[in-house]
Amino acid sequence: MGAILSIAKTTIGEAIRRRVLLVILLVGVLFLVIAPGLSVLSLRQNYTVLTSFTLGVIQLTSAVIAIVLTVYLLPNEVERRTIYTILSKPVYRWHFLLGKYLGAVGALGMMMLLMSTVLVLVFRIMQQQASMDDVLQLATAPIFFFVQMSLLAAVAMFFSTFVSPIVNFFLSGGVYLVGTLFSPVFQDLSNNQTLPAAVKGAATVIHSIVPNFAQYNIQGGIINQGPELRSIELYYVQIVVYALFYIAAFLIAGMMIFDRKEV
Amino acid sequence: MNRSLMLAGLAVCIAGGAIVNRMNYPLWQENFSPRKDSDLRGLSGDQLLIALAGFREMVAGILWVRADTFFDEGNYDAILPIIRLVTMLDPKQIDVYATGMWHIAYNFTDEQSRSDRRYIPSALALGAEGSKNNDYTYELFFETGWLWYHKIDDDYSNAAKWWEEANKRKDMQTARKNILAMAYLRDGNMSGAIEHYEELWNTARDNFAKNPNDFQARQNVDTLEVNLDNLLVRLAQRGNFAIENGTYDQYDYDTRPPYDVGFTAQVTVEDSKILRVEGTWNVQPVGTRVRIVLRDKDKPNLRPAALKWDQGTSVDLEPEKDMTFMQDGLFVKNQAFFRRIDMARDPTMYPFNSDNYVIEFYYNPRSAPPHIQDRFGFNGEGMTDKNYLNTEVRDGQRVIYAQLEISRDELLRQGEWATRTPVKRTIGFIPTGARNTEEVINVPGLRNDVQEGQ
Repeated sequence: MGAILSIAKTTIGEAIRRRVLLVILLVGVLFLVIAPGLSVLSLRQNYTVLTSFTLGVIQLTSAVIAIVLTVYLLPNEVERRTIYTILSKPVYRWHFLLGKYLGAVGALGMMMLLMSTVLVLVFRIMQQQASMDDVLQLATAPIFFFVQMSLLAAVAMFFSTFVSPIVNFFLSGGVYLVGTLFSPVFQDLSNNQTLPAAVKGAATVIHSIVPNFAQYNIQGGIINQGPELRSIELYYVQIVVYALFYIAAFLIAGMMIFDRKEV
Repeated sequence: MNRSLMLAGLAVCIAGGAIVNRMNYPLWQENFSPRKDSDLRGLSGDQLLIALAGFREMVAGILWVRADTFFDEGNYDAILPIIRLVTMLDPKQIDVYATGMWHIAYNFTDEQSRSDRRYIPSALALGAEGSKNNDYTYELFFETGWLWYHKIDDDYSNAAKWWEEANKRKDMQTARKNILAMAYLRDGNMSGAIEHYEELWNTARDNFAKNPNDFQARQNVDTLEVNLDNLLVRLAQRGNFAIENGTYDQYDYDTRPPYDVGFTAQVTVEDSKILRVEGTWNVQPVGTRVRIVLRDKDKPNLRPAALKWDQGTSVDLEPEKDMTFMQDGLFVKNQAFFRRIDMARDPTMYPFNSDNYVIEFYYNPRSAPPHIQDRFGFNGEGMTDKNYLNTEVRDGQRVIYAQLEISRDELLRQGEWATRTPVKRTIGFIPTGARNTEEVINVPGLRNDVQEGQ
């Protein structure tokens, strides 16, 4: 456990020193700061524009950070040959992989925390009539974006055990797109009673394998302040449990590949 | 590392995730899924990519900011596709639906500020779609009802239908609930209006009894009392109760005997697509607007002095380009009306592609102000005209309706009409020259004993 935590800590330190990540983060924060200017342009829907834009910025920036951060973690260690130093010590490969993943998630969490703080500050300044409940509700979205990005980081970590960073960037991005767009479609298909059994079965299998990123996009209810959400606590617990299952699955698969990989 | 154990763990994780996902799906669908009515066919490639990646609300917000800029610039044409895109991307944006409906129905006008009513079916379809996608709130049901009530102003049963739905929603504002009674009245449903007011009044009294120090509760009771009182007095004086119990002919109600409005009109085609409309209307009090419609004679989706407004649920932002439909109000002053209607400057709104057209004059007391209705009644029982009283174009209502036919050549002053001036007249047209020059408006009453100008 000590080895895992040490690797994670080192990874966080490395991540926050990487300029490319800091630039992405800076761009994200800048967009958050200028967001009120954008919402002022739309007097008719000030609240909606402010929240949709700021939450969108956080999600988009976090997704880019999650992928860029994770795709280089293993290949850089191999390329710089620092992995030999680590693996020559009493550290299992799975320790190394898990430590790297936890470090990536930790760094991602810190960056998202910074953006969320800016988000809340901007919201408080611009929406002074908003209650504490409104602020808390707004802050819920970044929490589940973090869960979503942790899952995305696990996907990228899995691919990084056998593909190059560039390929991994597009693969992980593609899985994110497919998981956001097609998960509901495949779920609909697998629930459709009129379809042939083979099609339904295929849809169920695909839906079970491709992680469902769509369910973390909970911002719609916050932005539009629509109807009362049903069993929302249960929903939140379930999507966290789902993420834990899939993160574990991707990490185990990654460990199995990395274990046999020649470095 | 035990690979078998890891494989087993992998299988357990995937199976566990899949089970949780299936359990979660109904909640996701109910709470967060954009409704099935939202489609993304109108998006460009980059917009589509971002939208599909889960940033629908963000793209919708940015587009709406752009639409706002266009509003400020008065660039209304550019707003239309943006509104559609925003509603596709984020079908929960109620304000965009509401603004979009208003914009489509009201803001496309010609040079003389007549709105392009060919867009109204699209505005109604947008309202229907928005209501379906946001059926938890009264707002879009109310807005759609308002379009029927205020903009169409001729088919109040639909306004009542939408407002009944709005009133079923928990968030319906108390003050807005009253308007359903007005829709019932204009729809000729007097008992419905009374029942609705009574129901609201009872609820308001209960609420006030529970909150005796609440000023708003008190005010609501008072408002409803006054509304109900006014309604009952009006219905009694107009003879509506007497009509119901068969004693209308026995007493001197305000609506008896029917008043002859003496409608006549003349349309002169002064120049290509420019009409000079004048006519008589023997009603002195200010507040009458006679509707004039110029439309294709034979096209689908047309009905006397109106379109078939409800044309389904498809939101088509391009109105029927081939159709010509002009509607205006002729304001009556000193028992006459006069208006110059110039359609020459708006060729897209008035394409004049058909060979034959009709000019319609239409007056329905249901759309009239209360002081006129006091004399004419809700159903026109206090109104008559020796030539143009019509009981067929609107079921169960006595309206004034006249139709003149005119050809494309006449309207465009071409062919044999290039050098001749087409003039169309109703039966017994009385020239209005002297009346139109008067600067003083005489305002006598409409009671039987003061029928001036008869």
